Amino acid sequence: MNSKRAILLAVVLAVVLSLLAACGPTPGPGAGSAVPTAPARGGSITYGLTLIVSGIDPHQGASSELGIFLTSVYDPLVWQTPDGKFVPGLAEEWDVSEDGLVYTFHLREDVKFHDGTPFNAAAVKFSLDRIADPDLQSQKAVYMLGPYDYTEIVDEHTVKVHFKEPYAPFLDSLSQVYLAMVSPTAVEKWGDDYRDHQVGTGPFMIKEYVAKDRIVLVKNPDYNWAPEFMEHQGPAYLDEIRFRFYPDAATRAPALEAGEADVMGEVPPQDVARLQAGGKFALIAVKVPGQSLQIFINTQKFPTDDIRVRQAMLYAVNRPAIVDTIFRGYSPVAWGPLSAVTPYYSSAVEGMYPYDLAKAKQLMADAGFEDTDGDGILEKDGQPADLDFILMEWGSVPEVGQMVQSMLLQIGLNAKTRLLSYPSALQAAGDGEHNLIPMAISASDPDILRTFFDSRNVSGGFNWSKFSDPEVDAWLGEGVRTNDPARRRELYAQVQQTVMEQALIIPIRDYVNLNVASSKVKGLRYSLQGWFPWLYDVYVEE
Amino acid sequence: MLRYIQRRLLASIPVILGVATLTFALMHLLPGDPAETILAQSGGQAEAIEQLRHQLGLDLPIYAQYWHFLSTAVRGDFGESIWLRRPVSEVLAEQLPATLELAVAAMVLAVLIGLSLGILAALHHDSWIDRAAMAVSVVGVATPIFWSGLLAIYIFAAALRWLPATGQRDLAHLILPAAVLGFGAAGSIARLVRSSMLDVLRQEYITAARGKGLRRSVVLFRHALRNALIPVVTMSGLQFGALLGGTVVTETVFSRQGLGRTLVDAILWKDFPLVQGGVMLIAAIYILVNLLVDISYVFIDPRIRYE
Repeated sequence: MNSKRAILLAVVLAVVLSLLAACGPTPGPGAGSAVPTAPARGGSITYGLTLIVSGIDPHQGASSELGIFLTSVYDPLVWQTPDGKFVPGLAEEWDVSEDGLVYTFHLREDVKFHDGTPFNAAAVKFSLDRIADPDLQSQKAVYMLGPYDYTEIVDEHTVKVHFKEPYAPFLDSLSQVYLAMVSPTAVEKWGDDYRDHQVGTGPFMIKEYVAKDRIVLVKNPDYNWAPEFMEHQGPAYLDEIRFRFYPDAATRAPALEAGEADVMGEVPPQDVARLQAGGKFALIAVKVPGQSLQIFINTQKFPTDDIRVRQAMLYAVNRPAIVDTIFRGYSPVAWGPLSAVTPYYSSAVEGMYPYDLAKAKQLMADAGFEDTDGDGILEKDGQPADLDFILMEWGSVPEVGQMVQSMLLQIGLNAKTRLLSYPSALQAAGDGEHNLIPMAISASDPDILRTFFDSRNVSGGFNWSKFSDPEVDAWLGEGVRTNDPARRRELYAQVQQTVMEQALIIPIRDYVNLNVASSKVKGLRYSLQGWFPWLYDVYVEE
Repeated sequence: MLRYIQRRLLASIPVILGVATLTFALMHLLPGDPAETILAQSGGQAEAIEQLRHQLGLDLPIYAQYWHFLSTAVRGDFGESIWLRRPVSEVLAEQLPATLELAVAAMVLAVLIGLSLGILAALHHDSWIDRAAMAVSVVGVATPIFWSGLLAIYIFAAALRWLPATGQRDLAHLILPAAVLGFGAAGSIARLVRSSMLDVLRQEYITAARGKGLRRSVVLFRHALRNALIPVVTMSGLQFGALLGGTVVTETVFSRQGLGRTLVDAILWKDFPLVQGGVMLIAAIYILVNLLVDISYVFIDPRIRYE
């Protein structure tokens, strides 16, 4: 038979396939590398995002990822400095009425949108009304507006924002990109497509948005209204900023090392030390305010319905060990429901429940638990101390869960973990199936505590400790309405202490966003929210 | 022929309806709530969650939601994706090309490899070449994509650096995913080609053709192969459905954006409209491909006629 034919066929196939393979471009730095220019002005950088954003309309979307690049496209009415002070932005001055229901803003008169139209009171009213419009179905911005009522245009550069009830977090909300001031002309022109043609007043404009691949910003040459705490005035230094996506954590450090990206967010802790070692990269560790990574304890399910059991768990979890092992020491240990950089954080919770195995065991004994059958698990009235521990895929939750599980076993608590998808976990927790479930939401106002500890959120909300205390409800209710900082400090301090006294959560660590930047990138700073870079002052220097 | 096509298209309507109903039922049986999932990101209050559920129409009784879904879908309106805040038809139109590209490329590779292996094996029936080719095809069928995909990335991207590992910028990015996805289908096709060819080669008309003095290649390709192709074409049509399903894992392993991955994320986020629209779309594509396969018989086999 003709085996020559067969061999020929095989060879042809092999040749064709290898030709196809050789045709592609070789992998390498490619278009991602920055072309540096010697002086401070000009140049470009590539910034690595960690999530492929789906909705990039700031009034509509909820992810913090969209804020990373949009913060440079829009200016806020007021800015919040990293130490929590509110300073003028597009609004030169403002005041709040006695009853906290009316905010009056006096706007700058020299500001223009990227499309040339002027920024004025009508634009403010348009933007806020757009967020509040139910047809937009805003996923985050509308909640940051709280009990917004309407906006009144007093004259071209004066505007009054009216609320149905006093809302203390308003200025904090205004300082974030979700309440962006958008060009009414552009929105009216593009309608539903506005997300692909966004127009703000910021130091950068969107040149290109290629859905799965990149976002490109270019300098706004007319920009001349930077806030005072920035390092310079006038247009930004950089000509262009490219954003690329690196959803897989393992690819982030290699991208930096290959020069594909100049700045990268959320670099895994185990890669950070290696990157810093060569001297070519600098770590910019940004603390993120809001909830610390904490595990909620269900107060309405056995065995965690007993406060002694909950407190025992707190004494049994060695948090410094978790921080060292999983987070390589890059995160501070958390002591309460809020991370230490959150406004109105109370340091009174620090040092509550230090690691003490003996005390933990004693508390379990006091609660009436003992190991009657010698299997290492405690029992009470014949019921073993089994815990349902729900885990999810984000952050380092599975690893933290594993360590916590083994620590609880040391005091005879059998925490059975189950890894669920996000919606399933939320549903299970809502139904109260769990004893333990972790969560961490970033926020720059302590009102986030209301979401998790107000009794109204026990059924149908996120109060996963299933905790109900009218006094705490009253504090939280007053905290969101009063504009007096001293009073807010007092109220939230009481809430935080009560949460820890009642042992409603096991706090683990404060979230720290590990950004790594090439040493040629200078002037990079982050806002108080911890996620959003201020790229206006950034320049490249070889 | 036209009447045949019309009948087939008409018959596909209850199929798609069935698929839609099944998807609707499954999605509502799975745990999780879209409003809760969305608001968990920003820490919403219980009343906000209730409000969003109301806005999305999720607090209506289940039969009302089903009726609303059917009556709007019939008009071609699949609603708006809860998670992406865009019309479902827009999202599907945007994501489909990348997935089709991957599935078609995989199909082409599968057919080429399958044909080559199968013919090779048939011509060298019972020799070591035959056994080797069939071993390769079994490996293809048996290997899960997430394993072969990662292995391929390791060998061709990380170790040899011949091809890029992830992404979808150009043709080079398509080779590994298409090859990995198509490998399984190639295995099935190879086995079928082999047995079909063996059957045909035994026929009397083949002996007659050789007897007439026709060259081997003419006998092989003009006579034997064309007749062997009918079951192969059927198999390929069915395999295309498997390939469409396989794009889900392939897109995830190779970090490509496409319909498969979007659907998985949509399911995880309980995005009812997007899942329903997407599944119905895939079902429609599959039905269409099989219709084309059936019509192609008329051209391949002169004995087949449709009334």
